[in-house]
Amino acid sequence: MRMSLNVIGLRTVAAFSARKLLMNRRWMLVMLLGALIALVMGYAATADGANMDFASDMMGILLLMFLLPVLSLIYGASMIRNEMDDRSIVQVITAPLDRRISYLGYYIGLVVVLCLLITVVTAIGGLAFLAFSPEREGGAQLIVTFIALQYLGVLVYSALFLLLGTLMRQPIYLGLLYVFIWEGFIGSVPGSIGNLTIRHQLQVIASEMTDYGSVALTNGDWTMSMLALVALTVAMVVAGAFVLRREEIS
Amino acid sequence: MSNVVEARMLSKWYGQVIGLNNFSIDVPKGITGIVGPNGAGKSTFFKLLTGNIRTNVGHLRVLGEEPWQNPSLLAKIGFCPDYDFLPPDLDGREYLRFVAGLHGMEGLKTAERVDEVLKIVNMSKDADRSMGGYSKGMRQRIKIAGALLHDPELLLLDEPLTGTDPLIRKEIIDLVKDLNKVHGHDVIVSSHVLHEIERMTHQVALIYKGRSVASGDLSEIRRLMSDHPHNIVLEGRGLVPLAQTLLTKPYTSSIELRPDRLGMYVRVDRPEEFFDSLPELVTETGCELERVESLDDDLESVFRYLVG
Repeated sequence: MRMSLNVIGLRTVAAFSARKLLMNRRWMLVMLLGALIALVMGYAATADGANMDFASDMMGILLLMFLLPVLSLIYGASMIRNEMDDRSIVQVITAPLDRRISYLGYYIGLVVVLCLLITVVTAIGGLAFLAFSPEREGGAQLIVTFIALQYLGVLVYSALFLLLGTLMRQPIYLGLLYVFIWEGFIGSVPGSIGNLTIRHQLQVIASEMTDYGSVALTNGDWTMSMLALVALTVAMVVAGAFVLRREEIS
Repeated sequence: MSNVVEARMLSKWYGQVIGLNNFSIDVPKGITGIVGPNGAGKSTFFKLLTGNIRTNVGHLRVLGEEPWQNPSLLAKIGFCPDYDFLPPDLDGREYLRFVAGLHGMEGLKTAERVDEVLKIVNMSKDADRSMGGYSKGMRQRIKIAGALLHDPELLLLDEPLTGTDPLIRKEIIDLVKDLNKVHGHDVIVSSHVLHEIERMTHQVALIYKGRSVASGDLSEIRRLMSDHPHNIVLEGRGLVPLAQTLLTKPYTSSIELRPDRLGMYVRVDRPEEFFDSLPELVTETGCELERVESLDDDLESVFRYLVG
């Protein structure tokens, strides 16, 4: 009985929270970002010497370093926090569903939506590059590689920003600081401190998945990076679930 | 279990603000009205009952169980909050399916139950319309349907009549009565208007500034209302002889005559005696009264009186 409640409840929270995210007007911002990335990628492909290395570097900068954390922040930090602020979360927290299960439902909904958006934007950007590039061999594989890599990034960043949104009233400021200062600035600093970013761990894994671009030259043990990201994701999802369980929601 | 809710010396504060203060109450089966002005602590009480927040001090049992971090208790409670939280892009039926999913309900039986509750709240006709276009009354009814869907033992309705027109108010009052009489749910319903609650139940608890100031049968509350001292304003001509006569009466505490002699404030200990004797006194003294009004014939005055 309890098992059935948890399974149906989890599915319901995931489906309705995903639907709510997709119905939100933020998709216009995503489309704008997608168009911008397509424009930049398409234009870059017309440059002399544009090849798959160049495409990989462009995708690394535009998608992995910018779009992925920014989209995750925009959608993740506001997901539960907005429901707490407009009090629409009341329906979920007054149902007989364990709040930890509800949290997992929100997380799954967020991951599904972000994966969908990332797939669309990456495909549009990648295809724009291929459309104008004189060299296309390996292009489709590169697009798939970056989509897969971003899926992994979505799992980690979603866990992080959903946790921030559950913990803080104004998660967006700390999230922006994290994305642009820690991931962006510190992540670019050579040496071991730069390794302490999600972005670096994703680049290490990317080095195992593709031979194109500067990411292929990133040093590190990809299995350790994978393990670190999975452990970080699980820890943050569990922490978020316990925070929501103990949170007084008025 | 004779009481659906038992609260003893509950206190809840939000930083410097006190939501409930040494609040004690026993809520019996049936319909119970929680009456108090805005900010009295009614919504805080409901949030404690549903385990949305926890008490700082005190003991609370809902259907015999502690509500904080007790999701299984929520299977026995249906909660309809006072605020609007309905997603405007869903239609009524989709919303109820969402609520059903949160209660682990799905399949054909759930669809039948959705139809059943839509019928109970008289929303079958509008169930497939987007909720963004619903009137206030329709939104209240679909919220009540959401609270009813899993057939809870106890229904908590926080200010269900707020913002509704008289016709809808009557429909909701009749619905609340039916939910108890016909469908067998115990109901706790709140309002800041006593006469609205009076039309649903005679079992009432008065709450003021976070404290339960009185509870029991409404006739007792009514007696308190008529027995507590009233300040009465009288306006007209020839008031001086009336004031002199009133000063000789045992129920009069004080009189303040306005400088223009066209009005006076009378404070009486037993308002019923005053109002009974007034026509005779007016005839005796020959004054012409244009206005007689009690400044304290409202719930707020009763609350102030009860808490000293």
